[in-house]
Amino acid sequence: MKKTKLNIIALGIFSLTLFSCSDTFLDVEPQTSILDQNFYKTEADAEMALIGCYDGYQRTSSNGNFAFYVASEVLSDNCFGGTGNTDGRGYQAVDRFDISQSPSDNNLFNGTWADYYAGIFRCNTLLKKMPGITTWTSTDEAVIGATKKRIEGETRFLRALMYFDLVRLFEKVPLLTEPTTNNVPQAEPVETYKLIVEDLKYAAANIPANAYPKAQATTNDGRVTKYAAEALLARVYLFYKGYYGKEDIGVTAAEALTGLEDIITNNEFGLVKDFKALWPAASYVASTTANTLDKTGYAGKGNKEIIFSQKFNNTQDYNGMMDGNRWLVMMGMRNTNWSPYGKGWGACTVNPKLVTAFAEGDTRKPASIIDLVGEGIDSKFDKKDQREYTGYTVKKYTPTCLPDGTSDTGGGNDFQISQDQDFVVIRYADVLLMAAELGSANAAGYYNLVHQRAIPTAPTVAAVTKAEIMAERRFEFAFEGIRYWDLLRQGLGTAATAIAQTQNVLSGTAADVVTITSGNITKTRGFMQIPNTQITLSNGVLKQNDGWK
Amino acid sequence: MSSGLSSLFFTILFLFTSATFAFSQNKVTGAVTSSADGEPLIGVSVHVKGTSKGTTTNYNGVYSIEVNQNQLLEFSYVGHSTKEVLITGQKTVDVVLQETQETLDELVVIGYGVQKKKLNTGATLQIKGDELAKMNTTSPLQALQGKTPGVSITSTSGQPGSDMKVVIRGLGTIGNSGPLYIIDGIQGDISVLNASDIQSIDILKDAASAAIYGAQAANGVVLVTTKQGSKSRSQVSFDAYTGLQNVARTAQMLNAEEYKTMMDEQALNSGSALYKWNTMNDLADTDWVAQMFKKDAKTQNYSTNISGGSEASVYSLSLNYTTQEGIVGGKDVSNYERYGFRVNTEHNLYKNALKVGQHLNFNYIKNTGISVGNQYNNTLRGAFSTSPLAPVLSNNNIYNSPYNDTSNSLWYKGDGNPYASMMTNTNNKNDAQRLAADIYAELEPIKNLKLKSVLGINYYASEYRSFTPLYQFSIYSYNKQHTTTNQSMGKGHTLTWTNTAGYDFTLIQDHAISLLAGMEAVRYQGTSLSASNWNLLSQFNDFAHAYLDNTTGQAHLDEDGNVVETRSVGGRPETLYRRLSYFGRVGYNFKEKYMFNATLRADGSSKFAAGHRWGYFPSVSAGWVLTNEDFMSGMKGLDFLKLRASWGQVGNQDIDDFQYASPINTSTGYTGSNPAAFYNFGTGGTNIAGAYPSRLSNENVKWETSEQTNIGVDARFLRNRLSVNADYYIKTTKDWLVAAPILATAGAGAPFINGGDVKNNGIELALDWNDNIGGFRYNVGVNGAYNKNVVGNIPTEDGIIHGLTNQLFDNAEEFYRAENGHAIGYFWGYETAGIFQNEKDIADWKAAGKGILQADVKPGDVKYVDQDKSGTINSNDKIDLGNGMPSFTLGMNAGIAYKNFDFSVNANGVMGNKLVQSYRNHANKQANYTTAILQRWTGEGTSDRVPRVTETNVNWQFSDLYLQNGDFLRISNITLGYDFAKLIKWNYLSQFRVYGSVQNAFTFTKYDGMDPEIGYGTSGWVSGIDLGYYPRPRTMLIGVNVKF
Repeated sequence: MKKTKLNIIALGIFSLTLFSCSDTFLDVEPQTSILDQNFYKTEADAEMALIGCYDGYQRTSSNGNFAFYVASEVLSDNCFGGTGNTDGRGYQAVDRFDISQSPSDNNLFNGTWADYYAGIFRCNTLLKKMPGITTWTSTDEAVIGATKKRIEGETRFLRALMYFDLVRLFEKVPLLTEPTTNNVPQAEPVETYKLIVEDLKYAAANIPANAYPKAQATTNDGRVTKYAAEALLARVYLFYKGYYGKEDIGVTAAEALTGLEDIITNNEFGLVKDFKALWPAASYVASTTANTLDKTGYAGKGNKEIIFSQKFNNTQDYNGMMDGNRWLVMMGMRNTNWSPYGKGWGACTVNPKLVTAFAEGDTRKPASIIDLVGEGIDSKFDKKDQREYTGYTVKKYTPTCLPDGTSDTGGGNDFQISQDQDFVVIRYADVLLMAAELGSANAAGYYNLVHQRAIPTAPTVAAVTKAEIMAERRFEFAFEGIRYWDLLRQGLGTAATAIAQTQNVLSGTAADVVTITSGNITKTRGFMQIPNTQITLSNGVLKQNDGWK
Repeated sequence: MSSGLSSLFFTILFLFTSATFAFSQNKVTGAVTSSADGEPLIGVSVHVKGTSKGTTTNYNGVYSIEVNQNQLLEFSYVGHSTKEVLITGQKTVDVVLQETQETLDELVVIGYGVQKKKLNTGATLQIKGDELAKMNTTSPLQALQGKTPGVSITSTSGQPGSDMKVVIRGLGTIGNSGPLYIIDGIQGDISVLNASDIQSIDILKDAASAAIYGAQAANGVVLVTTKQGSKSRSQVSFDAYTGLQNVARTAQMLNAEEYKTMMDEQALNSGSALYKWNTMNDLADTDWVAQMFKKDAKTQNYSTNISGGSEASVYSLSLNYTTQEGIVGGKDVSNYERYGFRVNTEHNLYKNALKVGQHLNFNYIKNTGISVGNQYNNTLRGAFSTSPLAPVLSNNNIYNSPYNDTSNSLWYKGDGNPYASMMTNTNNKNDAQRLAADIYAELEPIKNLKLKSVLGINYYASEYRSFTPLYQFSIYSYNKQHTTTNQSMGKGHTLTWTNTAGYDFTLIQDHAISLLAGMEAVRYQGTSLSASNWNLLSQFNDFAHAYLDNTTGQAHLDEDGNVVETRSVGGRPETLYRRLSYFGRVGYNFKEKYMFNATLRADGSSKFAAGHRWGYFPSVSAGWVLTNEDFMSGMKGLDFLKLRASWGQVGNQDIDDFQYASPINTSTGYTGSNPAAFYNFGTGGTNIAGAYPSRLSNENVKWETSEQTNIGVDARFLRNRLSVNADYYIKTTKDWLVAAPILATAGAGAPFINGGDVKNNGIELALDWNDNIGGFRYNVGVNGAYNKNVVGNIPTEDGIIHGLTNQLFDNAEEFYRAENGHAIGYFWGYETAGIFQNEKDIADWKAAGKGILQADVKPGDVKYVDQDKSGTINSNDKIDLGNGMPSFTLGMNAGIAYKNFDFSVNANGVMGNKLVQSYRNHANKQANYTTAILQRWTGEGTSDRVPRVTETNVNWQFSDLYLQNGDFLRISNITLGYDFAKLIKWNYLSQFRVYGSVQNAFTFTKYDGMDPEIGYGTSGWVSGIDLGYYPRPRTMLIGVNVKF
């Protein structure tokens, strides 16, 4: 009996100690997500991570924050802030370079700032992990080397593009070239521009010219090409040289021009015949009887004029698909459907001074601007809810709808998130005009190509001045996120003079005046408010820009 | 009589009624009476000790039983001490049973064991299941309200089946702050238990009591013991109630006339044109808030318990059903239904050397609900914003719905129809099964050495189905493209294996020692599947048929040639989790005069990286029973006095898995908060999957620790009639597990890090008086608790954890935070100093150099206080405006019993908290107002609080204008009952009580919303935010308790 008891006790002790040596019991691995230590190993990983970088750039628009494009238009002399009459006055603060319009809005660009750094983080992570990627589909060292360089080139272009947006919006920004959680102070702009130039030169030199031929645009539109890098490099050069008056960032005018001429002589790109064919809302024709839109006039995504665009899809939802052009809805007419134009939130009402500035017969005017009175929309327009109504809104970028008012977006058909009009970052007309501006031997010819497309009756010119080119750019690129930066690169004074104005408008049917003073513009030097959340999170390491304190 | 009864009750009861008849030679009879009033006791268990023989007394208190010589007869009865009588030939044995107050010899449940209450050295609370059952609530947690000083229990919504927010001794973390629930030894879900199944609930408030649960006990531990059979008596009980629920108070919104006045006035004030009301035909006058509520929503409960046993085995089984309809929208959109089934048994083998037993609790829960979340996910909120000018019903709806569609309204096309939206678009059903079961064996090889092994499983399976029909109620509220059906399922289980060895012995004389050592291993795993598709078959186009098999959606190309997927599918294993623990306890007492306890627990968790996995949680406590000292023996009036002191550490590991590594999002299994990384190259709209690190890693993440010191006193006075319990505690929770905000330049989501602490200190006091004067029994109890909460050392550069934005209205700024030196989740906004009465007032204000927020300030606008005197109003002027957690909580209860009557009242309340009320979306000028706006400023001297109305929200930036005091006292339950058992005089019947009860009878508060008890917050660590809160109903019910 005693023995039995002892046995039972022994059994009890055994059961107590059964697990005691098994710390491995606690080892578990996730089954549906890859951990970073198991990723960045193969070529497929690298290609996926690269798409992740493109997606990071896409999110600067699809996350629904104050997008670079919209800010560029609100800041320019093309547009006012607009939006709903009872909305907050954040857009007015930006439009007027004046935070007293909305004193509590100290985080206007927090989401934007975060979106850009999230994209840059992805690029930095991939670039850092590249040496550790050891499994390649090819065994040929030369092929592997070329693939690596292409992937790096595309990644570095995207990083440069995002830094270029940031440095133009905020001037002094933390410059991170590899992932870090450190509290990094703001870099002098020249340092940021140097990195941008270095990245773009790398991309131009290392992405093979035949990597993504235009002929295969149906599958490769949106890819970074050597030509995109060359075009963006010229834009960077022109802005930096124009605003800062220096040439100390590693690129010369001649280099910039060489790149542009390379694009032009390559002959992959060209101007589409009809200017309005570039823009869905300008080229769609509503058929009321069939409740359809005739889209045959639209040149389509990936047309030959597109050097590089930010791509969008109609698959956005609220459950993790982030592919839509979220700022497009801001540009739509406030609560008003007028097929083919779809409703939106009424931001960026158009300055009448731009409308009157267009030359007689310029086909770009009806292709760029919705004339609410002229097109008979005025009486149906929800003016009671619109702020800073001027009678004109933007046509180049605006939602579209079917004659019955249904959103024309496809996908989930949600006019707020399903918008998929690509944002054309650089098109061929810009390449031509930049080449002309940089003193190409064919400057006048390039100018004529652009100008005579818009005004077929215009005479051919033999020579063209910089002032004429800048004037042409104003009409050619109106509402393409370019005008404001074109103004700034002509000098802060020029920009301030052009943008400062007093304009009578209607806000919620009541008379209202938009007053933009040049003093506010010069005070901010044209740069935007650093998000207060980031300043506090950095405990003051980040410094606010002048004019926004 | 008996046929009358059987028609009242399920015949099934009788099938189970177990009365044991024994045939023997020596018959003993007698009567049992109560010491309190000399009345006969009905249903006293009379049991021959050591046998299975037993009977109960009849309605005259008389019993009759066959007994052998020298056997012991045991008499036991609820609320009375048990008595044993040795049979040595008596034919008649009359017995008087002593009525007991709650005795100090009673056992309380502690971690992995039980202990005599008077030897307990921690701060613990015990509530009997009977007391909870009397409250007739759907959730046992709700019944605990007002009974538990130091444990704050608040509804997060009045929707049936909603969670209760339970916070023990102040919020200790911004993570999960709920306590650990242990049901019969295994972690489980208390909310699905029927109160009639609960024997007792023990709450371990101090760290020393909870430390034996180590890493999971930082927020306290709630131990639930379900009913176990008794070897001395068999009993069948049946409880039922049915009631009607109604809204206790609705919010008052403007009616049509008032609304029109306000719209015109704000247009005038904003320089807009007045409205041409006479051109708008057929404007209605709808009270949307009233429309949302359903009158006389039903609630019902039926439960049957059968228990009994013998020396060899005891058993307890029950079957119950509970249902509660929602007062918002009614049964179709807001409803909760639960079936429960429980079996507990225990068997003695080998002359009590081995005990084996099991617990099994199965629940089947079905519920349906409206959205009760933030402003974008709150069904009720629409009723506050919609103008009264739209009718509920009309024939203008394109989908043949009887409800009005405002898409072509002459007034406002965006108005919508909140009632129609709720009734049409709330199509969801949750259906869950939960099985909590364990089997155990306890071996006692030598006396008082107990080796116990428990294997427990907690299994759940759940299923969800929803349907989005076609509808249109305004230009913003519509679904015109396709219907969608969604089905999802999940299941999972936790296995727990616990092994303990306990040994109690006495060393020399009077030195009682109790030892416990044990280990526990826990493994959780589960999977989930979900899918949705478009377009039900036209024959089956409704919720009843909304199954994926009936959907017709096919992937297709849209007119641009893009692929449109109609199906979406997902399936994943739930997070894996494992834990391994070792623990031990030493208890010592000397003559029950000096007590000492120490525990140590080591926990290893798979949540952390190797090297940071193990946490160690010690505790010590001591007690001194002064009344057992000789020098106290002469103290008159003082029956019992014990001083207690304790210190301990407990942990928290409640974070997402794999925080120590950085997960790569590969565009599969994405969610709204972890979006996919698709990019569509080319022109065909085809998405190509990308990948990115979605979160940064923190290899060093480890346990959060809560350290608590407690000093307490338990005393009994005046012949045990008055009992007093008081506690003082200091609780510091440090190394918080927080996903602290990081600089955006870091580029990805923040991992959990350790940092931040919060100090809670407070006092708790409970007083209870129980007396019996000649059969008139009464009791009065009052309890209160005070807690102060201060945050420190938040591990961010600015020392702040920021709250969410866009919560109160569109584009609303951050309005709550956790910040060093303040309470967790304090409300952060502008202080106001009244209203500018005239132009001079404005000029003076400006002259004094004070800032003004309004760009175009006019008399009638709010004076926001320029705290930093900078001349501008901006975020530097926002201050701590109070917080949503009460500093005082209060509970009161009183009861009277006389003859067959019983009457009780319960109340609970809070003080010192603020409530944020934001019913109106000020970004929408057409949104309706509450009648509070009628007090607005309309001219000099008309108001110094409510600003003039305008079409903008400049006077409605987050300020103290949104805040109200949250103090309330609620009479939560009034019950009057009468027991007919003595009148019925039927042998087997020991209770036949019929009662009526009112729940949520009165609420004394100055809060002008629908319900001041608002546990809802837009984050887990903030409370008291009323965005259109689903109020708790007022319930009138009648019920019956029958015992055989």
